[in-house]
Amino acid sequence: MEIMTSNTETIPGFNITKSLGVATGSTVRAKHIGKDILAGLKNIVGGELKAYTELLMEARTEALGRMMMDAAQRGANAVVNVRFATSSVAGGAAELFAYGTAVVVEQE
Amino acid sequence: MYDFTSESVALLIIYVIIAVFVLFFPLAFMYSMLFGWIHQSSRQKKLLAREQKVAGIVGGDNIHTLSKPINLEQISQCGLVMTNITVSPSWWQLFVGGIKSIFGGQIQSFDNVLAYGRAEVMQRLREQALGEGWSEIINVRVETSMVMNKVKGRQQNKLGTLEFLAYGTGIR
Repeated sequence: MEIMTSNTETIPGFNITKSLGVATGSTVRAKHIGKDILAGLKNIVGGELKAYTELLMEARTEALGRMMMDAAQRGANAVVNVRFATSSVAGGAAELFAYGTAVVVEQE
Repeated sequence: MYDFTSESVALLIIYVIIAVFVLFFPLAFMYSMLFGWIHQSSRQKKLLAREQKVAGIVGGDNIHTLSKPINLEQISQCGLVMTNITVSPSWWQLFVGGIKSIFGGQIQSFDNVLAYGRAEVMQRLREQALGEGWSEIINVRVETSMVMNKVKGRQQNKLGTLEFLAYGTGIR
């Protein structure tokens, strides 16, 4: 069963029948020092740092996946009002956190 | 006649390494100062071309911040769509920004970088919507976070690296 996700308060076209609490998922990632050095070199002309972009997106996708697993364990078929939060932990690591409300929805 | 003994070769290698280390940073800074703007304007031109292309296909804009769909009436599927980008100012822009922040006021060099990052991440969201076949993306939010770099063992944001995250609900 595929879990639908949305960052709106309701899933458009569906009715929420039951709320199952907050589903959360998080992951802590650190980048190795080589990436910092390469980023410093890329910085000479500025612009996008692809290595960081990919790393953060990968981590965020994993956090979202964990959130969906949490929702599935609660017996939900959708997660609404998904939010993201980022915080930096000591040692150059970043925590990526995704949370939302696990709900059961029915087609209108 | 120069005598190539192993000692003199080793000495030469050491000199070359020292010269590279000493000269690299000034040369890179000069490059950043002289040619950084070429890289920046080429990035902005590419972005503008992509924006016009997508606007031509969709006929308007396919992302908006409202929580209800505008054009679509019957929704069969929805899902979270997200994209991100990390941008950072060039060495020269950092230097200029550092000097300007002594006196305060608007810092043009950072302005351009941030504006480019936001525009780029929104454009990626539009392209992803097209690629994944969403007809609209509703409730779009853009978030900003700092990427920490380790500078001399400490956690700092000296490189000025920023991450932009854009996400919304795709519907079709």
